[in-house]
Amino acid sequence: MIESFVTHTLNGLYYGFILFMIAAGLTIIFGVLGILNLAHGELYALGAFLVFSVVGFATGLVASPTGTVSAIVFGIVVLAASLAAAAILLPVGAVVESVFVRPIYERDEVYQLLLTYALLLIFIDVMKFGWGQTPVDPGVYGTLNRIPTTELVGFGYPSYNVIVMLVGLAVFGWLVWFFDRSKTGRIVRATAINRDMATAIGVSTDRTFTLVFAMGAFFAGFGGAMVSIGPGTAFLEMGLDPLVLSFVIIVIGGLGSLKGAFVGALIVGVISRWAIWLYPPVELAAPFAVMLIILLFKPEGLYGTWGEIE
Amino acid sequence: MSRIPFVEERNGESIVRVPLTRGLGLTPVQAVLVLVGIVLLFGLPFFSGLVGLSWERLFRGILFGIAAVGLNLLLRHTELVSFGHAAFFGSGAYGVAVLAAHYDVSEGLLLLLGAVLIGTLVAIIIGYFVAGYVDIYFALLTLAFNQVMFATVFRSGFFNYNDGLQVRIGGDRPSLFGLEWTTLGYNLVLYYTTIVLLLVMLLGMWKLINSPFGRALDAIGQDRTRARFIGIPVERYVWISFTISGLYGAFAGGVYALLRLHVQPEPTLYVFVSGEILFMAILGGFTTLVGPLIGGIVLVYLLEAARFWVTYYHALTGLVLLAIVFFMPKGIVGSLPSIGAALAHRRHDPGLVREDIRGIAAAMRRAVDRAITTVRIIVFGVN
Amino acid sequence: MASELTMMSDSTAESESGGMERRTVLKAVGGSAIAVALAGCGELLEDEEDPLEEAEVPDEPIEAGLQTFLEGAPAVLGVQAEYGAETAVRRINENDGIAGRQIDLTVVEEGEEALENYQEFVEAGMDVTFGPISSGNHEAMVPEVNDQGVINVATDGTVTTLYEEDHPPEDNQYSFRFQNHDVMEALAAAVEATELLGADEIETYAGINPGYAFGFDEQELFSAGIEQLADAELVYEGFPDLGTDDMSTHIEEVNSAEPDVLFSSAWGGDATLLLEQGHGAGMFDNIELLVGPVLYGSANDLSEALVDGPIRSGSRNFYWDQPSVDRWDPGRELFEEVQEEYDVVPTAHFMSGYGAVTAWATAAEKAVRILGGWPEQEQLADILVNHGFYTPAGYHTMGPDHQGYSNAHFGELTWSDDLDAAILEDVNVYDPKNVSPPQGQTSRDWIADWD
Repeated sequence: MIESFVTHTLNGLYYGFILFMIAAGLTIIFGVLGILNLAHGELYALGAFLVFSVVGFATGLVASPTGTVSAIVFGIVVLAASLAAAAILLPVGAVVESVFVRPIYERDEVYQLLLTYALLLIFIDVMKFGWGQTPVDPGVYGTLNRIPTTELVGFGYPSYNVIVMLVGLAVFGWLVWFFDRSKTGRIVRATAINRDMATAIGVSTDRTFTLVFAMGAFFAGFGGAMVSIGPGTAFLEMGLDPLVLSFVIIVIGGLGSLKGAFVGALIVGVISRWAIWLYPPVELAAPFAVMLIILLFKPEGLYGTWGEIE
Repeated sequence: MSRIPFVEERNGESIVRVPLTRGLGLTPVQAVLVLVGIVLLFGLPFFSGLVGLSWERLFRGILFGIAAVGLNLLLRHTELVSFGHAAFFGSGAYGVAVLAAHYDVSEGLLLLLGAVLIGTLVAIIIGYFVAGYVDIYFALLTLAFNQVMFATVFRSGFFNYNDGLQVRIGGDRPSLFGLEWTTLGYNLVLYYTTIVLLLVMLLGMWKLINSPFGRALDAIGQDRTRARFIGIPVERYVWISFTISGLYGAFAGGVYALLRLHVQPEPTLYVFVSGEILFMAILGGFTTLVGPLIGGIVLVYLLEAARFWVTYYHALTGLVLLAIVFFMPKGIVGSLPSIGAALAHRRHDPGLVREDIRGIAAAMRRAVDRAITTVRIIVFGVN
Repeated sequence: MASELTMMSDSTAESESGGMERRTVLKAVGGSAIAVALAGCGELLEDEEDPLEEAEVPDEPIEAGLQTFLEGAPAVLGVQAEYGAETAVRRINENDGIAGRQIDLTVVEEGEEALENYQEFVEAGMDVTFGPISSGNHEAMVPEVNDQGVINVATDGTVTTLYEEDHPPEDNQYSFRFQNHDVMEALAAAVEATELLGADEIETYAGINPGYAFGFDEQELFSAGIEQLADAELVYEGFPDLGTDDMSTHIEEVNSAEPDVLFSSAWGGDATLLLEQGHGAGMFDNIELLVGPVLYGSANDLSEALVDGPIRSGSRNFYWDQPSVDRWDPGRELFEEVQEEYDVVPTAHFMSGYGAVTAWATAAEKAVRILGGWPEQEQLADILVNHGFYTPAGYHTMGPDHQGYSNAHFGELTWSDDLDAAILEDVNVYDPKNVSPPQGQTSRDWIADWD
């Protein structure tokens, strides 16, 4: 029972970290640009497909691991390949923002929904053109699990899940550092709080918005890469559910709040796994029920707004 | 000026009066368009085949369009974006299916009445919870209610899971007006009943949005605080409009079930259906009354039929929507006046067309420039 | 009950069909060009005269429509069905068509709009339609098919109650289904588990099945079967969403319940996810056996590490190496053709498409032969009832209930280095009459009557 509880909770945390990486991109785009990007799930899917190609190339360069050390090296290669795959999303996101989104900032917000929905549809076919109709799987999950982690403390748990949690923590830490400490991050925050003032002191809002959108795309793609190198596969409609769940998370956490997205993702992850464990039929409804309860009792989300990114 | 029936002068302009409406009128151009629209609707089953369109598909488009007209009451006036209108469409559809499959109700009009009552009840309940919210919170709350309903239906044996329910009683389709019909007869009677009710509902909506209540909704949409200051019971009015909006969706879903005779959760209740209903309103022109209806027809046609035309049919639909966003900035119907005016200009001065082409080419060149510059900055870190 | 179920073992099945004289096959399939070509024995026809030349048939090609899942997770199955239908059509056309008429096959994405797609096909003047894959889609379509009167032969959509309870033969004229229904594979799975472990050894079982109608149906039927056969007790049942990205909760529950048998009708991406996460979480140390009717449907997505463990998989009505391709030319030729044409291992869903087209094509040819002209839909529908025909998978019948009956296959999921793909070994073949109720009886009643 206790061990089950621990495992279910860890599974929830693992799932939450995956959700956080997707939702983080959505929340910074929404927080700074004020755009609800419906194509965000497709950027996530694109990352999952890209990592299939990049990892396939990168692991082709190294021999299949035999011992602990080579397994760790293999893991580093896979993570580096995931970063490289996500990095391809930077120019993709930047082009989407500068070409399609930028011309309609001044229009009624609902056209942004229609536009990003159109992009969602187009992205699906871009991936169908690039990787075919059927799912693809980089097939490195089993090898990643050969890296020893929890066995060291006498507990059996897939190492891949542990890696994802560590990576998710690193992503959160980096984002907090970026927006809190780095100069560029402060400029972004300044732009988010007051566009006119930022422009007046010489900040290019166009640049800033492009940068933020590209960053959002990067984290979506990185989340997709993390899923794809795991037990799951990359398939065409994979972006839809995470998109909807990301909405749930950024609303639970509080709009535009990074910390909120982090806590919201972990709550959705853990509570949904507990729910399946204790009462399996609620699997499909659990995240939405959580959102309903939180919003009805705390309408502005758990963290309101963080202030910096609004 | 000689007296033409229904036409009167108001403020120096001739206005066409519409029966049953007081104080409302159409410009002559609008009146002609409305007449043409009504004729088209009534003739649809007969001429659509001539131009290679399937009228049953257009019928389904009209149904989703009705749901979008309902959604537009919130979108256009109270400025609330609902991501959960499939809840009402689905309630209507499942209302029909449950009454037929579990309670053996065999008269189509009774089924439809039941569907509207059930769907409206769902709207009253959800509306009670969401009326106090705005912006994305409203959008996401409606989405959450919608998705919880979807999950419940999807996983419940009473609704036969995702395999769905037949709207047939002992294998037979419901009767309409107490009579049994052939397949074609049934569809035609259902269609004309729907069209008549549709016209009534459009007229009703038109009166509603031009009534003091409709103005109050506009006020709420512009500024809730001020609306409250001038004594408008904001939450109650939003709740009422939410319910009316849901009624339209429930009606549409009910007819959809009667037409399709089989109801499944994904095409009626899934959250992406909610999204599609919203997009229909926007692409048809959410600043107009009939725009959402046109949007429904266009989007349903693309979503259902494009797969028969090209391999990359998602992209085709996406490109059409992109074109609407950029070239019809107020949606299809909303952009008609400016497009009409522009066409008239070009008839006078054909040279303008060349300028248009040049303008579009220049815009595309600028877009490509932006793309290249951006990629250069991102990849090489220099301008 | 187990003793009543006669199982054809691997070796006897092979000696029976593998040793069959070609002449016998020719005779058995009726000696007609298409029937023989589709049975996979095309080279036997050199000296045959075509008795159909006399028949009066229209010149224009036959327009046929197929709807199947062409993209995303369910495309793992859907694309195989497409390949199968295409292969059958290609073979028909290379052999001069049906009574001289070529087939023109249009393939379209099924999506959630199977009913609308069927209507579009009919409006476009299709002579016959095939598909869909999804059981809900199929259920929506059946009454419409009977209204429109254009024959549809479903590739899958295997929910058992469809033709037993919802649309019994008296209400159903034009809708047929080629693939075996759920009862056949779920019961075969129960028999497999009992035979392998022994009824006395199975005390507990668990299920992880996709959370939609098909998964609920399979779990219920397997439970009925295993409780009758081995008096086993259900210790856990979980229903992860179809196309989910995480089954870890269900796997952890199985790990802590430690059932003797785990049953899973997971398919496509769900099947690989179950195997991946199962291995990751050490699930195979906690169960004696995993039986899955559709695991092998993902044959082309499995890796060597994934098939490690006590896993037996079904392969519905077709396993490509049964009888062994070393001894069964039609099987070998089909396998080679599929490898060359599509570079995949054909699975049971390949046969869904191939067999659906074959059922209709051979019946159409039979009709032309009998009538001396092209049949009306109604005549063709009559001939399809109780129609028997061959494919490289063996002999199939279309029952009076409009349901196709073929041998069900189950084998040990393992890896072949030669082929560099997952294969089934030690394959058991189940005669349909042993794993499905007699005509006129519903499966629920039939299983309940076992003693």
